[in-house]
Amino acid sequence: MRLEKCWFCSSTIYPGHGIQFVRNDAKIFRFCRSKCHKNFKMKRNPRKVKWTKAYRRLHGKDMTQDSTFEFERKRNRPERYDRNVTEMTLKAIKKIDKIRVTREAQHHKMRMKGKKAIEQEAAIKELENSINLVKAPAALQQGSEITLPKIKVKVSQSQAVGERMEE
Amino acid sequence: MIQPQTLLNVADNSGARELMCIRIIGAGNHRYAHIGDVIVAVIKEAVPNMPLERSEIIRAVIVRTCKELKRDNGMIIRYDDNAAVVIDQEGNPKGTRVFGAIARELRQLNFTKIVSLAPEVL
Repeated sequence: MRLEKCWFCSSTIYPGHGIQFVRNDAKIFRFCRSKCHKNFKMKRNPRKVKWTKAYRRLHGKDMTQDSTFEFERKRNRPERYDRNVTEMTLKAIKKIDKIRVTREAQHHKMRMKGKKAIEQEAAIKELENSINLVKAPAALQQGSEITLPKIKVKVSQSQAVGERMEE
Repeated sequence: MIQPQTLLNVADNSGARELMCIRIIGAGNHRYAHIGDVIVAVIKEAVPNMPLERSEIIRAVIVRTCKELKRDNGMIIRYDDNAAVVIDQEGNPKGTRVFGAIARELRQLNFTKIVSLAPEVL
């Protein structure tokens, strides 16, 4: 049994899942689920569909080059069974996965770096451009404060209690 | 899902180009034929100057279907078109070549000649 990759979204296809389409030139297209199969039938390009691995790789959303990816690859020569090797492999999988996850998190962190500052800048710009929506131009001339002044409102305790009792 | 009146492509060089199914052999109550089934068909379109002619009645075995084929190991395979290979009464192909990918199920059904001629068996 072999775990194949989906042609459309590049996810792993486990035995018994998905469908294969064989074109007349004998090229095989494997799909992990009907969603991918339908998207293929609609002639969509996986590089242009945002949720596919192909798109994410192309647009720098995911890690593309990493030594942890080297372990997972297609081997056409069957490996002779060895108990020790199997044991070591199972141990290594956990370790490699851990490393991959941390590296991916680091990649995401680096990608999101500076996002907050950009958002802040955009918010300030919007406030400057459309201040007239919250403050009349005449009022703005008197006091050129853009941000709203903090107004303290005194709430009488007794009244609030009385209302609650009525309910 | 091949039934009478279905048009099929021909996946060999027998001289026929398009077939129309008129009967499924050994079907009894079955409505549809699938990969590996033998059908009786009419040649709707033929290549000129070949032994097979238009409106001739022949037997053919289905080698590809658009309808998914399910295998016991959970694999589901779908092909591009409905295609058949023209055979004689003994089950030997009339042509000398077979085109396109062919399902492995034909080997179990003793169409070994067709399987060996095929460029790709899937």
